[in-house]
Amino acid sequence: MSKVRERNESAWLLPNDGTRTNHGLRRDMRRFDDTDEIDLVVVGCGAGGSVLTQRLAREGWSVVALDAGPFWDPDRDWVSDEADSHRLYWTEPRVIDGADPVPLGSNNSGRGVGGSMVHYAGYTPRFHPSDFETFTRDGVGADWPLSYPDLKDYYAAIEEELPVAGEAWPWGDPHIYPHRPHPVGGNGEIFLRGAEKAGITAKVGPVAIVNGRFGNRPHCIYRGFCLQGCKVNAKASPLITHIPDALAHGAEVRPDSMVTRIEVDERTGLATGVHYVRDGISRFQRARMVAVAGYSIETPRLLLNSASKRFPDGLCNDFDQVGRYLMVQGAPQTAGRFDAEVRMYKSPPPEVSSEQFYETDPSRPYKRGFSIQTVSPLPITWAEHVAAQGHWGGKLREYMSDYVHWSCLGALCEFLPEPDNRVTLADEKDRHGLPVAKFSYTKGDNDKQLMKAAQAVMEDILHAAGADEVITIDRYAHLVGGARMAADERHGVVDAECRTFAVPNLFITDGSVLPTQGSANPALTIMAVAARAADRLKGSTR
Amino acid sequence: MSADRFPGFDVLSQRKHWDPVTAGVVLERISNVRDFRFFTPDEQAIATVLCDRLLGQDGDDRIPVAAMIDARLAEEQTDGWRYADMPEDGQAWRDTLAALREDGFADATEKEQDAQIQAVQDADDKWHGLPAARVWSLWTRYACTAFYAHPDAWTEIGFSGPAYPRGYKNAGVDRREPFEVRDHQPGEDPVR
Repeated sequence: MSKVRERNESAWLLPNDGTRTNHGLRRDMRRFDDTDEIDLVVVGCGAGGSVLTQRLAREGWSVVALDAGPFWDPDRDWVSDEADSHRLYWTEPRVIDGADPVPLGSNNSGRGVGGSMVHYAGYTPRFHPSDFETFTRDGVGADWPLSYPDLKDYYAAIEEELPVAGEAWPWGDPHIYPHRPHPVGGNGEIFLRGAEKAGITAKVGPVAIVNGRFGNRPHCIYRGFCLQGCKVNAKASPLITHIPDALAHGAEVRPDSMVTRIEVDERTGLATGVHYVRDGISRFQRARMVAVAGYSIETPRLLLNSASKRFPDGLCNDFDQVGRYLMVQGAPQTAGRFDAEVRMYKSPPPEVSSEQFYETDPSRPYKRGFSIQTVSPLPITWAEHVAAQGHWGGKLREYMSDYVHWSCLGALCEFLPEPDNRVTLADEKDRHGLPVAKFSYTKGDNDKQLMKAAQAVMEDILHAAGADEVITIDRYAHLVGGARMAADERHGVVDAECRTFAVPNLFITDGSVLPTQGSANPALTIMAVAARAADRLKGSTR
Repeated sequence: MSADRFPGFDVLSQRKHWDPVTAGVVLERISNVRDFRFFTPDEQAIATVLCDRLLGQDGDDRIPVAAMIDARLAEEQTDGWRYADMPEDGQAWRDTLAALREDGFADATEKEQDAQIQAVQDADDKWHGLPAARVWSLWTRYACTAFYAHPDAWTEIGFSGPAYPRGYKNAGVDRREPFEVRDHQPGEDPVR
């Protein structure tokens, strides 16, 4: 593999004077007209859309990447404050339903250039080889139309570009990381101590936070506000890892542009561009190819809202696959109380993880597994934990005053894909007059068993570390699926190259194409899948 | 509340170390609580009592939780999503405050008010036609988000607040920055 700077110069295109945004690069970026038939228009500048944009801009393609949200400037737009970070989240109206409705917004939905990676914790584990064939191995979930070796080189490439810091990784396909593991704070220390005593292997990482200088990105300052957007440029998001290089190679990023519909020519059956609204004005960007990367709620919604005479039930929805098999991970968090001060807010929340329970254990009644990671909630989020125990009034305040004594772990449980966990269109409309997404979710029995098992392991670790009390809050994390890849159009929306079965020049390059999710945070895999799709596209005619 | 656990600690004393954008939003939060715009005066009266009870506020220096919620709803800074069996958040607040009014919440004694609040938390199913658990979640989510956004609450729990551009140098169990204050009642686990 060539040196990372030769492949992706983003980190060297950022300023090195203590500010975080290369304003000149943005001001001077190439701009296209709506009437230009560009090579590719990308919908959404998150993990998948940004990588695709950068890769193809480097190939000389004319690419415009639209994003519904702003083109962030970390200096001006982001704060070291929980409450004021709501603008980082997708907060347009949505309806949640099912037996186990999944709250959206802050927890799992991004907005603006960089997408959800602006406010993700920073964990970037790979999927395990087993994740690509859960049906064959375990009789649950689905097999991917590609396998781990197909993604391996892309994982390694993206790990260098972010870059990822961590210990040598013993799980899945064992591998090493380009940056050394970060020193740990109180929470990581507790996890490592407890795990060792409980006989569980835990490792520092893998986190996409630079350890040392990387290009013009400075070292992490361990301020703990990773989930509020990194003002330091230390934590990776596409805003700083792929977009600068894309601009330097002639791509245009067009922020504040909400795509409302994909246009498909009835005669040729090909996509011709996208309708979008910018500054209240409806526009149409022509393009030879369209890639949708709006994530697991907005991507299916856009397809469903792009119904036409040819596609009466929604674009690419001939076989009722759009919006289905949407997954969240069960993400219970268990906290332990220590007489010593942990002050878990001092360090990035992502520090230490264990994948020891990731794979199916034949001695257990459930299939698949879970991972465990440090999480370190800040006060507002911590108050949710305390309120979830039923406390309110003076009791809640007293309990909260104990904040510095708590350590907190989180699990990611591999919930299985189910057809009825899906996005449909609700009756209500957003301010553009478009039906909003309705996301329905119900846990299965295997899912519930995983939640319990993960909680028990976290309690064991915290007790082993010396906790005198443990509390747990049940919650969910991440979104993937909703327009999954499959071997054929009866089982999914796109093929292994992310090309839709129904429209040959329409691609989906975001988390919605994932058929399973493992117990891994999805960002790295979304980027790797998009990088692979870009590689395949390079060889094709534009 | 228990006595001061972090004597001498005042997160605002560190404000000179905050970046200007963060200092701007946090200081505006404490110095410039706006007039009520979303709640009607009737709703305001009930919301103020409800939020103060939910957070055990009965002294003089109260964090203006209801006003902070009002600002959030007026500016539509909600999370966007709503449960299928609930109205959107602003309407849900109006509906639940109207329900409390119907129950005579405003004129009840503190003890009665606490009992009425407890009844919502304890309800198995519906409360005034709405799923009680969702009502409870709405109230506590908004009230806690407002309260723990306030520097006085950070001081109360020993949290060091905004940390850019300074960051931290002394992370780890029982390690503190020079400006952080040790908990003076470390064994006082409130539920032990």
